[in-house]
Amino acid sequence: MRTLTSATLAFLTAAGLFAASEKPAHAQEIVLSGPLKGAPPVIKLRLYREGRFEIAPMAAFTLLDEYQHSYLFGARLTYYFTDWLGAGFWGGVGVNTDTDLTSQIDQVAPRDTLTATNVAPCVPTNSKSAASSTCPGGAHPSFTDQTAKMTWAVFAQLTAVPFRGKLALFQALFVDTEAYVFAGGGVVGVDERANCGSSGDKFASCTDPASFSLSSQIKGAPTFGLGLTFFMNDIVNLGVEYRAIPFSWNRGGFDSRGLGPNNNFPDGRINGDDETFKFNQVIGISVGVMLGSRKISQ
Amino acid sequence: MKQAHWLLFAAALALVPSTAFAQKGKKPKGGGTTTTAPAGGAAGGGEIDLDQPQAGQQPQQPDQGAQQPQQPTGATPAAGGGEGGICEIDPTACPKMENIAEAAKKKYKQDIYAVQQIYVLRYHRVELTPYWGFTLNDQFVSHSGPGLNANFYITNVFAIGLNGNFYSGLNSDSDFNFQTRRATRVAVPLNEYSWSAALNFTYVPVYGKFAGFGSFIFSYDLYATGGVGAISTRPIPVIDPDNRKFDFDPKVCFNLGIGLRVFVTRWLAITAEIRDYIYPEKLEKLTIANGPIGNPNDPNSPSNPKTWLEDGVDITNNFQANVGLSFFLPFSFEYRLPK
Repeated sequence: MRTLTSATLAFLTAAGLFAASEKPAHAQEIVLSGPLKGAPPVIKLRLYREGRFEIAPMAAFTLLDEYQHSYLFGARLTYYFTDWLGAGFWGGVGVNTDTDLTSQIDQVAPRDTLTATNVAPCVPTNSKSAASSTCPGGAHPSFTDQTAKMTWAVFAQLTAVPFRGKLALFQALFVDTEAYVFAGGGVVGVDERANCGSSGDKFASCTDPASFSLSSQIKGAPTFGLGLTFFMNDIVNLGVEYRAIPFSWNRGGFDSRGLGPNNNFPDGRINGDDETFKFNQVIGISVGVMLGSRKISQ
Repeated sequence: MKQAHWLLFAAALALVPSTAFAQKGKKPKGGGTTTTAPAGGAAGGGEIDLDQPQAGQQPQQPDQGAQQPQQPTGATPAAGGGEGGICEIDPTACPKMENIAEAAKKKYKQDIYAVQQIYVLRYHRVELTPYWGFTLNDQFVSHSGPGLNANFYITNVFAIGLNGNFYSGLNSDSDFNFQTRRATRVAVPLNEYSWSAALNFTYVPVYGKFAGFGSFIFSYDLYATGGVGAISTRPIPVIDPDNRKFDFDPKVCFNLGIGLRVFVTRWLAITAEIRDYIYPEKLEKLTIANGPIGNPNDPNSPSNPKTWLEDGVDITNNFQANVGLSFFLPFSFEYRLPK
């Protein structure tokens, strides 16, 4: 009992010391009385989203590209059940261009037995390098032709809009601004180097020029990200968002795995073993059009 | 021993602070009786407390103290601030009791201004921001690392400061480089960083506030920054690693960036920024000199450091995302004008 009393007193003493060390709350942060007591932090809030449908054409591009830059053109379609929660789709078709690395490999990579399964045999006709083309009269397939390309993507996603406010620019321009996050899943269309194998397999040899062609594949992937929406008026908004689409694919069309410890060595075949994980990142810019009438909160 | 326990307990109670609320009014003097929001309105000519029950819900018999303000005697309680207040100097200016029901019918301006008082004043404060940086645009080598940004605000929106990044030992050569080298026999020249430091100027053109989940409000600002300094880099030998060894070499480096600060308190903020470090980079030479190995003075020897680097420089952009915490010192400040 005595021990309990001592412990209680010690606790109270410590609590008192702790409480004494705390600063008192600022009076301005506590509204004890007055017309705003009990009022919500925001009244007559413009509810841009509740019960409305948004069509947002968008353009997006990928970050940290290895062999191909991907540009996606499409739209985001979302229905908002409340002002902070919606569900919809995001999708687009892709256009791809070579990175500088792809151009460099195309021009300077040696075409010999060491690279025979990994680099398409033809050197582009505009090559300035000493590498000679083994493709008489032509320049294909070149390395560009074997690199994987993101061709389309469709995702179902939930969008939450937890933060909203206004942006004052130079004290002159005020724009209602919302920050949102989203997550979902979907499929990505990828043109990836087709499976090939050594002789005896059902696929063509990976040194065969025909094996450097691409085949269309569909990859499942999650997606998530965040963005900002700037409302120009009740109907039109501008948006910018960051999106992650992580999945595994064989971007270079290389035979890099399938043999040895942990499958870390080339096995002379191109197949699913050669796909490596990539945290694909996309920046998108959109112009949203809100359909339906805007409401105002209490 | 028991007495000591009680003394400790008493000490603990004494240490429990009692917080004073600024809006809590002074008790009127002179009336002798504390006013308790009578049906006729607030006593003492003080504040009208609209949170009190409506007139119809008030006690029918107001207490003595509530009657006193109407008495034209010297016993008028503290209207305008106590004995000998405005009521004695100018009776016409003496606040009169209002019917609470009438007061409740008053139309209050419901507009809430976007910026009543700027939540955080930066004027003549020091901002310290430790952060972690991530590479945004180098798919070959990531240059992550800690950094520190220190700013002094000359005005509320303009600051001068220093920042530094530490990369040494934290550069990460992507596995994709190895795969490319092994598959194509093509090596990409790579570079790693040791440190960078810069003198910067910061401007805060945008600020505002956000409502979170409709239940709380937080303030934020957007800033632009730019400066000049140095960055120490060196090539990672990938073309001829047997013979080449590079030392870190500082280069002049310009930087431009934009950032977002979300204020948690008036002295603490979460900061995220994107900054582009622009500098002239020296790259490893893609070809190897074909002279004899071992004589560093031979202009054609692979051992000669003069054969290791490409001619000229490449202007390099290192886009870096920084995420950190901003601490404003001193912690408190005073507004020039009252709210």
